[in-house]
Amino acid sequence: MWQLPEDELQILGDVAGKDVLELGCGAAQWSILLAGRGARVVALDNSARQLEHARAAMAVAGLDFPLVHSGAESVPLPDGSFDIVFADHGANRFADPYLWVPEAARLLRPGGLLAFSGSTPFEELCWSSEDDRMTTSLQRDYFGLHRLEQPDGYVQFELPYGEWIRLFRRSGLAVEGLREIQPPVGAVSTYRTEEETAWARRWPMEQIWRARKA
Amino acid sequence: MGAPLADGADLAGAEGVTLPEHVRRNRAEWTRWAPEYAEWAPRAWGREDFTWGVWGVPERELRVFPELLEGLDVAELGCGTAYVSAWLARHGAHPVGVDVTPAQLDTARAMQERFGLEFPLVEASAESVPLSDASFDLVVSEYGASIWADPYRWVPEAARLLRPGGLLVFLVNGTLAVLCLRDEEVPPGPELRRPYFGMHRFEWPEDDSVEFHLGYGDWIRLLGECGCEVLDLVELQAPEEGEPHAYPALPERWWARRWPSEEIWKARKL
Repeated sequence: MWQLPEDELQILGDVAGKDVLELGCGAAQWSILLAGRGARVVALDNSARQLEHARAAMAVAGLDFPLVHSGAESVPLPDGSFDIVFADHGANRFADPYLWVPEAARLLRPGGLLAFSGSTPFEELCWSSEDDRMTTSLQRDYFGLHRLEQPDGYVQFELPYGEWIRLFRRSGLAVEGLREIQPPVGAVSTYRTEEETAWARRWPMEQIWRARKA
Repeated sequence: MGAPLADGADLAGAEGVTLPEHVRRNRAEWTRWAPEYAEWAPRAWGREDFTWGVWGVPERELRVFPELLEGLDVAELGCGTAYVSAWLARHGAHPVGVDVTPAQLDTARAMQERFGLEFPLVEASAESVPLSDASFDLVVSEYGASIWADPYRWVPEAARLLRPGGLLVFLVNGTLAVLCLRDEEVPPGPELRRPYFGMHRFEWPEDDSVEFHLGYGDWIRLLGECGCEVLDLVELQAPEEGEPHAYPALPERWWARRWPSEEIWKARKL
């Protein structure tokens, strides 16, 4: 959300020559970037409209890679066909983790990496839907955190930390890391107000999980 | 008995060795608190079922420990009066209790005599343990080194002591609870009173102890750097009913029904 460079975070590592799947690619900015770095990319989204944007952006970039119209809970691609499966505020936020994580694990080769950035339990717990803003107190229960109905009608998902860990392990993934993003002093975001960025300097509002297929 | 002492290890421990400031402060505080824990020790030693944390969640529900304890070499870091080791010993494990506070070990020794259950007790800081590399199947810390020693020092020590495939199990205060605790001796509300980023060393105005608490990502990173794979994070929820606990500054039941007041990390040495 604060546009921290992957070159600094090094979440995905070297992608050249690797089979990479993006879950919830939107207009495929990430996939285009990785394809430009030599990855063999497949980008998936369950919105036909987003995939049209992705197709247009690919044409502009002079790149061509497969786009798949599908949800992340059930992906029409063969087992063990990717070295990296990733999402950046993509399907991981809008699909049920109890369905999409096992599916991502199925798609990975042994030793393959699952990485995804999303919201945090802290953000979900401290958000006041009444006042429509971040607060500095716990507004909702942590136990049972899973499906979050948003006021504008769509559904988001977030899990407690221990639940993520157990879900990875049940899916045959070893926990490799949890990177909690603290925006640097003076960071600006097109997604976040100044007040929210100040909050995120104190508590994690964005996190990146990494897990590896055994 | 397994768990041989390292060559030249001095069982009498810390004399002549300069302990870090936080270890000295915690030893002084635990010396002050020891009589209270000595009073409570017979009950803790006498318990048939092992339970976790201030809400007494039974191990038979959580199953954090290995199913078969028989014959396992166990090191307990920050054992206090050693009731965890005692329970493990009664189930056939071979524990060694490690604690830096002589007064606590005195109680542990008295309990060993009273309950007729002997196992080695070592006076040492968990940040520098005079026991051999790769000589334990399980390292456990229940509100011991896990919150009173610096994780960047004790976790590498725990990992060093473990055999490949061995388990590290430790109980700490819940991360959200640590962020919500008040400075006064009253239970927390839902307000976050301190930032998450930078969590590490904590001092409280009510006493001279030094505690250590890390965030989730830092625990995972540290365990990984020490060659341990994270197996589980059990976030304890208070049961609906039961006795209140005896710690005025810790979350009350209503709080711990909604947010984890305690958590158990479980990792395996690769």
